[in-house]
Amino acid sequence: MKKGGLAPTALLLLGALYCLLPVGWVLVAATKSRAELFTSAAFAPGTGLMGNLSDLSAYRDGIFWRWMLNTALYAGLGAALSTGVSVVAGYALAKFAFRGRGLMFNILIGGILVPSVVLAIPQYLLLSKVGLANTYWAVLLPSILNPYSIYLARIYAAAAIPDALLEAGRIDGAGETHLLRVVALPLMGPGMVTIFLFQFVAIWNNFLLPFIMLADDGKFPLTVGLYTLLVTGANQPALYNLVITGAMLSIIPLIALFLTMQRYWRTDLGDGSVKS
Amino acid sequence: MLSKRLAIVVSAVLTGALVAGCTSGEQAPQQQTGPVDLTFWTWAPNMDKIAEVWNAAHPNIHVTVSKQAGGDEAAAKFLTAAKAGNAPDIVQAEYQMLPSFVAAEAVADLKGEFSKAKAEFSDGIWSLVTLGTDAVYGLPQDSGPMMLYYRTDLFTQYGIQVPKTWAEYASAARAVHAKDSTVYLGGFSSKDPGWFAGLSQQAGANWWAITGDAWKVGINDDASKKVADFWGGLVKEGIVDTQAQWTPEWNAALNNGKLLSWASAVWAPGVLSSNAPNGKGKWAIAPLPQWGGQQASGFWGGSSMAVAAGSKAKKQAAEFITWLNTDPKAMDMLIKDAAVYPAAKKGQELLTQAPDYFSNQADFWKQATTISGTARGFTFGPNVNVAYSAYKDAFDKAVQNKSSFTEALSSMHNATVADMQKSGFKLAS
Amino acid sequence: MDSPRKGARGARAGAVPYLFLAPAMVLFALFVAVPIGYTIYLSLRRVRFSGLGLGRGSRTEIFVGLENYKAALQDPEFWAGWVRVLGYSILVLTLMLGLALVFALLLDSVKIRFGRFSRIAIFLPYAVPGVVATLLWGFLYLPSLSPIHETLGLLGVRGIDLLAPGTVVYSMANVAIWGGVGFNMLVLYTQLRAIPREYYESARLDGAGELAIALRVKVPMIAPAIVLTTIFSIIATIQVFTEPVTLRPITNALSSTWSPLMRVYRDAFVTGDLYSAAATSIIIALISLGPSLGFLRIVRRRAFGEGQQ
Repeated sequence: MKKGGLAPTALLLLGALYCLLPVGWVLVAATKSRAELFTSAAFAPGTGLMGNLSDLSAYRDGIFWRWMLNTALYAGLGAALSTGVSVVAGYALAKFAFRGRGLMFNILIGGILVPSVVLAIPQYLLLSKVGLANTYWAVLLPSILNPYSIYLARIYAAAAIPDALLEAGRIDGAGETHLLRVVALPLMGPGMVTIFLFQFVAIWNNFLLPFIMLADDGKFPLTVGLYTLLVTGANQPALYNLVITGAMLSIIPLIALFLTMQRYWRTDLGDGSVKS
Repeated sequence: MLSKRLAIVVSAVLTGALVAGCTSGEQAPQQQTGPVDLTFWTWAPNMDKIAEVWNAAHPNIHVTVSKQAGGDEAAAKFLTAAKAGNAPDIVQAEYQMLPSFVAAEAVADLKGEFSKAKAEFSDGIWSLVTLGTDAVYGLPQDSGPMMLYYRTDLFTQYGIQVPKTWAEYASAARAVHAKDSTVYLGGFSSKDPGWFAGLSQQAGANWWAITGDAWKVGINDDASKKVADFWGGLVKEGIVDTQAQWTPEWNAALNNGKLLSWASAVWAPGVLSSNAPNGKGKWAIAPLPQWGGQQASGFWGGSSMAVAAGSKAKKQAAEFITWLNTDPKAMDMLIKDAAVYPAAKKGQELLTQAPDYFSNQADFWKQATTISGTARGFTFGPNVNVAYSAYKDAFDKAVQNKSSFTEALSSMHNATVADMQKSGFKLAS
Repeated sequence: MDSPRKGARGARAGAVPYLFLAPAMVLFALFVAVPIGYTIYLSLRRVRFSGLGLGRGSRTEIFVGLENYKAALQDPEFWAGWVRVLGYSILVLTLMLGLALVFALLLDSVKIRFGRFSRIAIFLPYAVPGVVATLLWGFLYLPSLSPIHETLGLLGVRGIDLLAPGTVVYSMANVAIWGGVGFNMLVLYTQLRAIPREYYESARLDGAGELAIALRVKVPMIAPAIVLTTIFSIIATIQVFTEPVTLRPITNALSSTWSPLMRVYRDAFVTGDLYSAAATSIIIALISLGPSLGFLRIVRRRAFGEGQQ
């Protein structure tokens, strides 16, 4: 390793430590039994991990795993659709000049100004009108549009796709959809990964939308499901250790996803395509 | 550019209005006969197992349970669903939320079906589902009479007797805190308006009352002021704990003997065994300290079961609710599986063996029933959440600044009155 | 600077960009525009009760014009909330975005080790579900079980209340920064990854060090992403809601209307007054517009880098 890399590495590791410590708490707390949770020191490992896992699985005949499957569906399908819609829209906004481009972009971004807390109830009333409330669609459809992703896609497309390449393709007679598939999307690889990852995590951890939309507890995602274990009403005890264990288990697929996707950040596909 | 944007905004508003227009205007729906499928929203555990027993015996009335989260958001979710026409047939409704549900026209008046169950419940509890009118909006399911939970071993260690009056409570608090400044006799909670309501009920308060066709708001009546002043004094002296309850810190304090007592309700054993397992067998109950005169107590929490106004099978829903809350077999299951303290008198008689956690107090349930008999409630108004939210804000500040609790109470009263005036409710002068 | 691509290209493009944008615009219309329209509609109305409000027909929805807006604007607590949020925003924005940029640049430089580990570690806070947040920070901030207090105690510092009125803002800011650094870092990092490596070759050949390259070459190249994250972070912190709501159950120092958006939440979900909530949220949206537009105007030239290549 060349010298001089020590300071940046140390800085990064410090940052990593700062970020990891509270996450570490979740991991350690999940190993504690009920008796240990409020009595032992925060980072002292406990003896209850197996007990917690089996209690969580046994809770209401394993509904936790149903919730995890639901969440995978909402997040996987939702993020995939969202990435598709955002990337195509971002590409169009970045690489074409057309009437209304500025207006449409401003409108899309303006959507961010209204907080989602506010939109949840009107969205629910709207979907109830068409009978889609309390269905999987009720959570999927509103999750697809994310103006933030579109903005991201726009700047990634602008940075990663050289106009000259598109011109070359057009001169060769390629159609726009062909160009999109063959030229634009591969170049936007790292950007698409980021957008997918963000939207996946956002939907995975989204609470308010599914909370309002879903009445049937078999359709709950993890967030809403774990919430019912935590906020148990005035007269029932909260199942703290199940909630913490559930939260820990909920983080694991996200880590796995991150690890799988991160190899896409290493490729520099822009290299060599325009040079002679 | 500007006119284009304006056009877009206007069309959005118009479309929105269209949606809105279609949403309102729910007439009483056609009632179904024949086999029906009822949905039931509740947060009590294991209700689906209990519903299975009903379903087996009643093939024509099938009940599907959907377990929700409790708390404020549960009520908001129900009201939103009712507004959209998606309300469940049967809903668990906390007593303090029931008037708001009635005001929002979200629950039905079923005096025809429920009145015959009146004899099963005490008058105090029954008034919580009639709101002092001659309608009946639900059946009481459980109740939360308040009593004092205390650490028997630590009381002996610190040399204090179980306080019989609030004055004795204050002296005991002083004594304990003087011996060890990290230990408190008990705590004041600025986050639990229901707790404070129960203590005010014990003192004889009436926060809302119906006089004729108007509401009378009395949050700062003399009884409540007495309670507020008392606790304000204790907090100012620094002899009671003021930390937020239901936090890890508070659980730790209960576990480690930093809190010697907890003025709580009959459902506390579940909470204590879950959050303070180290104290098993060391706690006991006694009636709350008294203000003098007759023995009295109040209620903290408790819910009823109501039928949605939009339900298409109200009679059948009422049948299930009546069975669940008055049938001895059903109540036995409620006690064992749902950890419910039944509001019905017959249900309370089913409780004989003390909870595990209180294995040291064999007559736990006898005491609880006696105390429950002395508990009184008051009518809840149509904007309890406004009052409760104001309580938290006002008393959070008062605890922080150790300022006058009577003032905090008055600001809570004023906020409640102002909100009712703004909404157009008729207030008695 | 947008270089207009009209002429042969523009004519051929025709309907294509509109087609590509169609799914987004349709979804926007359905799930953003119409709900916003409905919110505006709601904000002009109220529910009025008569008498006890308990019988049928004693409840009507009426049009009240701008009354809800007036009530919100005249509420001193509403403005107090904005003042609090201003201070909080400055604190969070500088630290969070500063750290995000530093980490992104560090991760992109050639000489670091444990890059992949650090990358995922910094991202992880974003992955922690909000449902455990109050519990998590309750354990970390409340004295008796907190490792922070323990460490401070070892250093001889005792009796610090992390949730007192004077310190709770910093504790909240820490929650926000911890949760948001990873997300913003990744946005910037992705943009850095898209820059072809040969852009740095000439600078390296001239003998420039990593730091110089970072500051003089990389930062200007990812200006669009920096602008993006700043604007959206401004909006997100102005509309701060999650952090105070997370900490509120464990401290007495935060009221139910500490931030303006909390007032909306309280109205919509606690006190059941959807109409006030609607009016307040429109006001918040309009106020959020100000700083965002302002910032955008300042950095307009840098923001959209199409045609730079």
